[in-house]
Amino acid sequence: MFSTKFKKLQALPFAMFLALTVFAVNGLMADVASAKEVFAEQAFAEQAFAKEVLAEEGAEGEGEGEPAIEWSQDVFYKDWEGNPLKGPVSGAPAPDLGPNDYNKYDFAPSRILLWVANQQHLYFGSFVLAVPIFCMLIEFIGIRTKESDPVLSEKYDRLAHDLMKISLTAYSWTAILGGVLLFTFITLFPGFFKYMAGIFRPVMHVYALMFLAESGVLYVYYYGWDRMKDDQFLKWIHCSLSVLLNLIGTVLMYLANSWATFMQAPGGIDEQGRFLGNIWHVIHSTLWNPVGVHRILGNIVFGGGIVGAYAAYHYLSAKTPEEKAHYDWVCYIAMFIAIFGLIPLPFAGYWLMKEVYAFRQQMGITLMGGIMAWLFIIQAVMIGLLFFGANSYLHNSMARVRGSHRYMKYCKYMVLVLIVCFTAWMTPHTIVMTPAELKAMGGAQHPVVGHFGVMSAKNTAVNLMITTTIFCFLLYQRANKKITVKWAYIGNCWLTAIFVGAACNIVYLGVYGYFLPANQRVGLSVPQVTTTLTTLFAGTAINISMFKDSESYGDIEWGTQSRVGTYAIFLLAISFTWLMGLMGYIRSAVRLFWHVTEVLRDNGPDAYTLTIGEAGKMLTFNALFVWVQFGIVFWVGSLTGKKKVESAAPQGVPVPAQQQQ
Amino acid sequence: MNKTLLSFIVTVGVAVALHFGVKPMFLEGEPTMFINRYAFFLLLVFSVVGINLILRLSPVMTMKAAYIWGLGFYFYNPYQAGTILTPPIPWTLFITYMMLWTIGTFLYISQDRDTFAEFRGPIVKTVTGEYKIARYIVFALLPVMVGWGTYNFIYPSYPEPVELRTVHPAPPATTKVHGKTYALEGLQNPFRVDEQDNYYEGGTQLPVEGKFPFIDAESVEYIKYVTEGGTVFFQNCHYCHGDQLNGLGMFSHVFNPTPANFVDPGTIAMLRESFLFWRVSKGGPGLPNESTPWSSAMPPWEEHLTTEQIWKVVLFEYWYTGWHPRTFDEESSSGGEEGGGGH
Repeated sequence: MFSTKFKKLQALPFAMFLALTVFAVNGLMADVASAKEVFAEQAFAEQAFAKEVLAEEGAEGEGEGEPAIEWSQDVFYKDWEGNPLKGPVSGAPAPDLGPNDYNKYDFAPSRILLWVANQQHLYFGSFVLAVPIFCMLIEFIGIRTKESDPVLSEKYDRLAHDLMKISLTAYSWTAILGGVLLFTFITLFPGFFKYMAGIFRPVMHVYALMFLAESGVLYVYYYGWDRMKDDQFLKWIHCSLSVLLNLIGTVLMYLANSWATFMQAPGGIDEQGRFLGNIWHVIHSTLWNPVGVHRILGNIVFGGGIVGAYAAYHYLSAKTPEEKAHYDWVCYIAMFIAIFGLIPLPFAGYWLMKEVYAFRQQMGITLMGGIMAWLFIIQAVMIGLLFFGANSYLHNSMARVRGSHRYMKYCKYMVLVLIVCFTAWMTPHTIVMTPAELKAMGGAQHPVVGHFGVMSAKNTAVNLMITTTIFCFLLYQRANKKITVKWAYIGNCWLTAIFVGAACNIVYLGVYGYFLPANQRVGLSVPQVTTTLTTLFAGTAINISMFKDSESYGDIEWGTQSRVGTYAIFLLAISFTWLMGLMGYIRSAVRLFWHVTEVLRDNGPDAYTLTIGEAGKMLTFNALFVWVQFGIVFWVGSLTGKKKVESAAPQGVPVPAQQQQ
Repeated sequence: MNKTLLSFIVTVGVAVALHFGVKPMFLEGEPTMFINRYAFFLLLVFSVVGINLILRLSPVMTMKAAYIWGLGFYFYNPYQAGTILTPPIPWTLFITYMMLWTIGTFLYISQDRDTFAEFRGPIVKTVTGEYKIARYIVFALLPVMVGWGTYNFIYPSYPEPVELRTVHPAPPATTKVHGKTYALEGLQNPFRVDEQDNYYEGGTQLPVEGKFPFIDAESVEYIKYVTEGGTVFFQNCHYCHGDQLNGLGMFSHVFNPTPANFVDPGTIAMLRESFLFWRVSKGGPGLPNESTPWSSAMPPWEEHLTTEQIWKVVLFEYWYTGWHPRTFDEESSSGGEEGGGGH
C-alpha cells in the first residue's frame, strides 16, 4: 500500500531531472554570453558609482587634508575588456603572520584541533539543514495524500514530526559546536581570524541574525505542529513555514560557505589582500555557487544516510511487527531521499572541479593529478561502496516483494557488471609497486589493465554502473506487477533495446575516447551522461506506462527486509560520513601553505600536508566521533518517545478484581 | 553421495586437468586470436559451469561462492607460473582486485534472504559440529594457516619499498626562464602557427601527394619548427625518452621511475604546452616541494637549450605522437571573467 503511493512520486526520475538541471545549468550559464555582458555592465556601473562617490568624498575631504583615495586591482574580477577590475582600497593588507599569530596546546597540533572542530560542526550543520528539507517533502506528501489515504497521510506526518524532534536536539548541538569552532579560530589562529573578520565583518553579523531567524521559525514550526495539524489552511501555513525554514537555512549555509570559498579562491581584494569595498564580490567568489549546490545535495544525501541508519537500528531492535513495518518503511524513504541527492551529486562535483581548474590550473592538477590524487582514488573506493550498498539494498528489498522471483535471476548478472565496471573504475593510472614488480611488468603501465587508468574508462565504468542501478530500480518497480497491457511484449522489447543500446553506446563512446586528444575526449562525457539519463527517463516512462491495469502479486510486506539489506544502509551511512570528511579535507587541504590562496600565507607550524595514512586516521576519528554524538542525540530525542510508552503501559496491566465493574 | 561434495570433487578434478593438461597447449600457441591464456580461462569457466549444469549437481551457495571466488583468484593471481592476467600485476593491484571480487561474491550470495541463508548454513553447521569431518578439517587447518601467515609476515624480506608516486606535479603560477618571467596560465607556444597540427595544403584534409613532412620543412613554416624541435630532441632527449618517444630510450632501464612515455594518453596528451615548457625548463630539480621525493633525473634544460629550442621540442613531441595539447575553452583559460559573470 505504502509502496504504491510512494512510488508514484518517482524519486529517482526527480533526482535525474535534478541531475540534468545541474548538468545543464553549468553549460547554459557558461554559454549565455549576455550574462557576462550584464555582469560587465554592472561591474562598470559599480566602479563608476564608487568613483563618483569617492571623488565627492575626496573633494569634501581635501579641505581637511585627508589622504587621497587609493585604487587597486582586483585579484579575480575583470571588467568588460578583461582587465582587472579596480576598486577603492577599503581594508588593511593581509598580514605577514608570525609566531605570535599562532597559539597551541601541548596535547595536539592546532590544525588538528581546528580540523576536528570544523568537521564536527559541518557534519551536524549539514544534518540540521537536511532534515528540514526531508520534513518539507514528507509533510507535503502527507498533505497531498490526506484525501486519498488518510492513514498513510498520518504516517507521513508522524514521520516528519519525529524527524523534526531529532533535528531540534541536533540544532542546539550544532550551535554549540559552532561556538567551539569560533573559539578555536579565535584562540588558536588569532592573526588569521582577525584578517577574515576584517573583511567579512558585516557578513558575520548578518549570519548571526539569520541564525536568530532560523531558530524562531524552527521553534514555531516544531511546537506549532500539533496545533496547526487539523485545520487544512493552518496545515498549509505550517508546511509553508518549512519552506521558509529551508530558505533561511540555505542562506545561512551560503553565507558560511563564502568564507571557505573566499579562502580557496579569493575575489574582491587586491594582491596585498586589501578589501576593495564591494562585499558582494568577496561573498560571490568563483567557487561560491558550485560549492553551495554541491553542499545542498551533499546534505540531502548525508541526512538521508543518517535517518536511514537511525531507522535501520530501530528496525533491527524492534520488538513488535508494527514497529518493524514502520521502520522498514522509514528506511525505504530515507534511502530514496539519499539516492535523490546522490544522483545529481557527481554533476555538481564536476562543475566545482571545472571552476577550480578555471580559477587556477595548478590547483586543479594538485587535486586530480598531484599530491591529492591518491585521496581521489580513495574517493573512488568509497563511491564504489555506495553503489554496492545501494544495489545490495535494492536486491534485498526486491526479494521480499511477491512476484520478484521473476527478476531475481538477473541480480547476479547485474552484480557481475557492477564488479567489472568497478574494477576499471578502481584501477589507478599510476600503480603502487616495488621496483621488482615494475620490471616484471615491463614498464610503468600495464599493457592490459593500464588502459583502465584514464578517464575514458572511468566515465564508461561509472555510467554503466549507474545504468545498471537504474535497471535494477525498474525491476524493483515492476516486481509485484503482473503486466496485462496488450503491448507488454513490445514494451519489454523497447526496454531491452534501450538498455542494450545504451550500454553499447556508452562502451563505444568510451573506446572512441582513446582515439581522441584530451580536449575533445572530455566532451564525450556529455553524450555518455545523456545516454544514461535517457535510460532512466525513457525506461521509467515505458515501465510505468506498462503498469496500467496491471494485476498485483501482493503488497510489499513491510517489516520483512533481510538483515543484509538493513546492514547495507549502515554501510551507506558510514560511507557518506567518511566520504564527506574526505572531500572536505581535500577541498581545504588543496590550499597547501595558504590560509587565503596566494594572499595570506600560512606561516604556522602546521602548514604541511598530512600523509595519506594520517589523514585517513583523522577522517576515521571524525566519522566515529560524530556517530557517537549522533547516538547521543538520537537517545536524547527518544526520551520523549519512551515517556509515551510508559504512560501507555497501564492499559495492559491487569486490573484488580475488586476494581472491576 | 552428497551432491555438493560430488560437485566439489568433479569441479576440482576438471580444473586440475585443464590447468595441467590443456593450459600448456594454450600458452605454447600464444599469441594468436583464439589460442591464448584468456581463451583458456574462458574455457575453464565454461567447463566449471558446464560440468555442474550437465550433471545437475547444483551445489549449495557456499560452494558456488567458493568456485566464483577461486576463479577470480586464479585469474588475477600474479604468483603462479603462467599467470592468466599477464604480465603479472603488482601486489597492491592484486589486493585491490581481490577485494572487489570478494565484495562481488558477497553481493551475489547476499542478494536475498534465502541465498544468504543457504550460504551461511554449511558454515554454521561446521562451526556447531553438525558437519563433524568438516569441522575437524577446518579447525586443524586454521592454526596451520595462521602459523603460515605469521611465518610469512615475520620472515625478513628485502624488497625495495613501494613508492606512492605523484605523476603530475602541480605547476607554479609563474616560471622564470632565461631571466624572463612567464605566467603559465594562458601561455601559448609561439611556434604553434598551425592550430590543426597538419602540413596539408589548402585545407583539403588530405596529405599532399608525394610529400613528406620533413621534406617539406622548408616550405611549410609549421613543419620547419617541428623539424628543428625534432633535431633538438634527437640530440638531447631520445637517450632517455626513446626514439619513438615511448620512454624506452637506451638509458631508460636504469631509471626508476622510467622516463615519461609521451605516447601514453595519460602523459602529454593531458597537459597544456605551458606545463611542458615549465617541466622541460626546470627538470627534476625544479619540481615543487610537495610530494617529494620525485626521483626525477631530468636535468633543467634551460641550462642547455634556448627558450626557442624548448618550445620547438615541445612542438615536436606533440607532432610526433599525434596528440594535441590540452586546451581549455576561452572562458576557462581566461580565468576570472566567467567566475564573475557567468556563474
